[in-house]
Amino acid sequence: MTPTVREILQGVAMVLATPSPPEAGPMYDASRKGMASTLAVLAAGEAERLAAATIAENADIRAELGASAGAYDATLGGRLAKAAANTDADLTTPALDGVNARLRRLLIELHGAIEAAGDVDGHRRIVALYGRMAVGRRLPLGG
Amino acid sequence: MSGGFAEGVEAYLSRVWGAPTTIEGLSRISGGASRETYRFDAIVGGERRPLILRRDPPASLIETDRRSEFMALKSFHGRGVAAPEPLILEEAGAELERPFFVMARIDGGVAASPFAPDPYAPHAAKVGEDFFGTLGRIAAADVPGLPMAEVCEAPALDQCWKRELDYWAGVIEADELHPQPIVRAAIRWLHRHPPPPAQKLSVVHGDYRTGNFLHDGEGRMIAVLDWEMSHLGDPLEDLGWAMDPLWRPHGDSRVGGMVSRDEAIRIWEAASGLTFDPAAFVWWELFASVKGQAIWISSAKEYRDGGYKEPILCFSGWVTARRHDEILAAKLAELPL
Repeated sequence: MTPTVREILQGVAMVLATPSPPEAGPMYDASRKGMASTLAVLAAGEAERLAAATIAENADIRAELGASAGAYDATLGGRLAKAAANTDADLTTPALDGVNARLRRLLIELHGAIEAAGDVDGHRRIVALYGRMAVGRRLPLGG
Repeated sequence: MSGGFAEGVEAYLSRVWGAPTTIEGLSRISGGASRETYRFDAIVGGERRPLILRRDPPASLIETDRRSEFMALKSFHGRGVAAPEPLILEEAGAELERPFFVMARIDGGVAASPFAPDPYAPHAAKVGEDFFGTLGRIAAADVPGLPMAEVCEAPALDQCWKRELDYWAGVIEADELHPQPIVRAAIRWLHRHPPPPAQKLSVVHGDYRTGNFLHDGEGRMIAVLDWEMSHLGDPLEDLGWAMDPLWRPHGDSRVGGMVSRDEAIRIWEAASGLTFDPAAFVWWELFASVKGQAIWISSAKEYRDGGYKEPILCFSGWVTARRHDEILAAKLAELPL
């Protein structure tokens, strides 16, 4: 994900630890701290959901890569099949994120190939997958 | 900067105006992630002048040109658009070390949050009339002769879309930290289905939306703000941005939380004298969400590169980006291959 929960919370800590310059004034300072607090609450919710959401997204992408592996040239098809056969062994967030980045890159490549081939059904399937990915990462305001 | 910020402002204004100037009530305005925005009163020659100073930040949500922002204000101030009066442009930074400009402050208004439920009730329809009417008047302005024309490149009518798409796709290419398949699919769609040439060349505000104007609480728009992304291009660009679902509260079908889509288009057409082209607008609506996602991707990178200091960059690069992914996926689902 971008930014990571670690980066978000580092930012919150920076805001709390660093006083605003005098020219900013108290209202600006309060607004900045209020936004940092909102980010902290959202990050707490994200920390609870992120691993499950990323595992689900990775599985969903792998299913699409696997379903399309036979339809394209052997080089791309082989890479798709190989990626589809993997599972998430390391369940730490950075590892899941790294796998997710690799799967997303393959998905981008696959979607480009599907478009070039004029494969309407394949395109529809991937767009539906995008919808599920976006909803799976939805941030409910309030954590 | 030797001395404080306030002393720097006083020294600068005293020098430029050729008269001793002091300032009172200095404070920074929150929001405005692409400029540091300060409000204060300048006291010069016994006169009190309410002012706004917008300075380039060390890191920004988007790279923008303060000269084009200044000239955009100059193009529309006093010409039927509630643009604040631009006063001083300082591109070298001088006493404040980073480029800035000064404009007159318009008091007595509020800016609604695009995320607040029903932000303009009970005056939503009146605000919508003003909002889309003003946008129509900006679109209608003849570019030759405007100060904007002195500083902005004028694209050919059939190149407006390509220039904007190439620019924002380039931002995504340069700043993407985690692969973004949804916005990339939208970019490819936009390349496959180019829109017709612009009906006319217009000034494009670039960030015309809920939250970027002041209203008086009774339905009247009193200031159009945040012109930092203004440029010349297709007038449908601003309309697409203004109507993006991001700027409407969840569950509210009115564009910007103001009026229905059909009503917004009717108001815009009447004020601009232009004809709304639904086919072309499909392109500009999708482009608006691509541009938004480019800005949020860029802000996430700035947040990381800038040492995680500005929460607005984090909010944009994370929360707003997630919302735009949903919007883009929904739009793609309604379009042909």
